[in-house]
Amino acid sequence: MKESAFIALTNGFKDKLFRFAKRLLVSQEEAEDATQEVLLKLWKNKGKIGEYKNIEAFAMTMTKNYCYDKLKAKENNNLKIVHSNYKDERPSLQRQVEAKDSVSWVGKILDTLPEQQRMIIQLRDIEEYDNAEIAKMLDINESAVRAAISRGRKKIREELTKKHNYGVG
Amino acid sequence: MELARIEKLLDKYFEGETTISEEKELKVYFTGETVPSHLEKYKDLFGYFSAQSNVVATRATTLPKANNLRFLYPFIGVAASVAIVLGVFFYNPNTTEATGTYEDPEVALQKTKEVLNLVAQYMNEGKKDLVYLNEFENTTNKLLK
Repeated sequence: MKESAFIALTNGFKDKLFRFAKRLLVSQEEAEDATQEVLLKLWKNKGKIGEYKNIEAFAMTMTKNYCYDKLKAKENNNLKIVHSNYKDERPSLQRQVEAKDSVSWVGKILDTLPEQQRMIIQLRDIEEYDNAEIAKMLDINESAVRAAISRGRKKIREELTKKHNYGVG
Repeated sequence: MELARIEKLLDKYFEGETTISEEKELKVYFTGETVPSHLEKYKDLFGYFSAQSNVVATRATTLPKANNLRFLYPFIGVAASVAIVLGVFFYNPNTTEATGTYEDPEVALQKTKEVLNLVAQYMNEGKKDLVYLNEFENTTNKLLK
């Protein structure tokens, strides 16, 4: 497969991978890294691309696994003394701008959900995959997907209602 | 009437029972202008989902340059072994240059004799020095009788 063909193929879902990684890893930089890493892996195995039934779903699964590894590594690093412990605690400019926008509350609430619900809400409500596809990507069964969707959405609603009633965050 | 339908869809939505197309309908409705105040909060929700689907990665993907000669790597070993095998078969250690020889047997005999004499001469010269060794023999004979 030629490079241009590969780029054309992956451009169709590259941003989806990025958004998915960002939902899990939160950091923009890390999400970019994750996307790059997954695409590189695909490129290295380009000989087998024809064998995969659904390359997009496969890439999503790869992204999930990559992010899980990253998150696990982060947990393990908790005991390390790192400089970031002393970083500027004031929210970044971008965060400040975002915070003014009430829509971003949804994002914040979303980030407090358990990883699995977060992933599933991302895939369903933002990327608009159907439950069967999500089940395949995450390697769980469809009823679990449905349950997680419902639980996640209700949780968001609950938090949103709180915010709207008190108008504070 | 539409409101009732939307509320019904919302209930279904939170139970996780809406279809993708129904969810799209909700997104369209809540990103529109006319949303009643009691449903205001869902505007944020669906607005966020719609906005998020437009987030894109800013960094361009870079692929490592494909190495066109990579497929040759496994054959390097094969080429090396072929070279060694050919080398072993075609190397002939007996290809030293032929020395001159005598055509006439008389001359050959003469020359051979000369050479042998020369060797014998040196041999005898060397043996002269060994006379001293007889002293050892004498001493031993004296002691052993």
